[in-house]
Amino acid sequence: MSDYEVPEGLYYTKEHEWVKLEGSNCRVGITDYAQKSLHEVVFVDLPKVSARIVRSQSLGSVESVKAVSDVFAPISGDVTEVNVKLADSPELVNQQPYGDGWIAVIKASNLEAELKNLLNAKSYADFLRTQMK
Amino acid sequence: MVEFSGFEMPLWYQGIVPECKAVRNSVGIFDTSHMGRALILGEDSTAFLNYVTTNDVAALEVGRAHYSVMCNQNGGIIDDFIVNKLAEKEYLVVPNAGNRDKDLSWLRKKAEGFNVEIRHISDEVSMFAVQGPNAQKVLQEMCDEDLSLIPRFGGRKVSLDAIKATVTRTGYTGEDGFEIFTWDSPVEEPSKAVTMWNAILDHGKSYHIQACGLGARDLLRLEAGMCLYGNDITESITPLQARLGFLVKLTKGEFIGREALAREKAEGIKKVRVGLKVLEAGIPRAECDILRDSQVLGKVTSGTFSPTVNQGIAMGYVPTEFSKIGEKVEIRIRAKNLQAVITRFPFYDALKYGWQRTQ
Repeated sequence: MSDYEVPEGLYYTKEHEWVKLEGSNCRVGITDYAQKSLHEVVFVDLPKVSARIVRSQSLGSVESVKAVSDVFAPISGDVTEVNVKLADSPELVNQQPYGDGWIAVIKASNLEAELKNLLNAKSYADFLRTQMK
Repeated sequence: MVEFSGFEMPLWYQGIVPECKAVRNSVGIFDTSHMGRALILGEDSTAFLNYVTTNDVAALEVGRAHYSVMCNQNGGIIDDFIVNKLAEKEYLVVPNAGNRDKDLSWLRKKAEGFNVEIRHISDEVSMFAVQGPNAQKVLQEMCDEDLSLIPRFGGRKVSLDAIKATVTRTGYTGEDGFEIFTWDSPVEEPSKAVTMWNAILDHGKSYHIQACGLGARDLLRLEAGMCLYGNDITESITPLQARLGFLVKLTKGEFIGREALAREKAEGIKKVRVGLKVLEAGIPRAECDILRDSQVLGKVTSGTFSPTVNQGIAMGYVPTEFSKIGEKVEIRIRAKNLQAVITRFPFYDALKYGWQRTQ
């Protein structure tokens, strides 16, 4: 998948979110493929800190001029941190989707069971390839 | 690329935001050949157009154009378009892409009893728009005639790099600029159009000209407060409701929709199109509810994020009593009610941006 970055060591969803494990906390963002599909991100609707989130429900949204894309929670738990920088600099999602463009940190409530639903880098890259066809 | 009214068209080339900025700050070029072009010719062409459109065609001079709408008997808008008077008894009408066939069949149906010829030339003439404060400078490099003599909504036949074209000082961005009709450039053999496009890009290089897609086109027109047919105006909306009353000349004589529009004006216009600026972070989209004290007033018909004013902007319809500039309302965006204010068009500061700018 040379067109899209898929870093090793992260978990992914088929809705194009990524998850980075930091102990029992999960840092969440959207993938390079997602940001490139949306193109210029002009607004990110963040969840509230301490909001209780259920997996596959909407965690927030990322919007370009023309399109809105839901960010689905890849993991259930409580939101402990949100990326407030995105309020003024939503373009960070485009510039560093796996870095400064992260969206929220979730303290996972059922991590072990739910991790099984996520893809590793190789499976996600394979999934993207099937999407391209 | 997206499919639009049967055309494969780019949503953007470099990106909607940089394309929008190029047009507001310098110059951009749009391929608008998807739009309709029809010639209305013949002895009765003025009388005919005066009968099927609401604006006063008899008042139009040769070399001038005006914006107009075509209504049905109920005053509902069939289409909005520019009518160009190319010569005596020779008009060029430019319908929306999605309304080409509908307009042509309506015009042909209503032409009965008039001595007119309706010639559909969409596929024989290409159409580009060059828009922005530097649009004239770019085209002037290609042209011997002094383009500054063409007034807004004026037009003339010129040669641009030796290619014959009609240029009109019109557009859909709020900026100064031109629309360029390249004659004798059919879709099967578009070499003149391709040469024209490349020549404009070439001359525009020093002004950092940007090729612009549909995304920027929609954004720019919305920032300027201009209607998009199918969203902001439809057959169930009248020009009076759409705040296009300046196009409705009730005293010019009989025209289709006159009776209904005169009645609506006399009885009072119940709902009107308004501009809306969101005061919180959030982007309104078409179909969002407009509320006041949790009562739904109407719906957003177009909404977006405006990079020029750096805010969510929208237009929509509300009952006339809630339409005052400065009126506070709410827009329901993705399950949240966000504060918004009724705003005048255009959304940007008209002293800084747009064709009337002074800076």
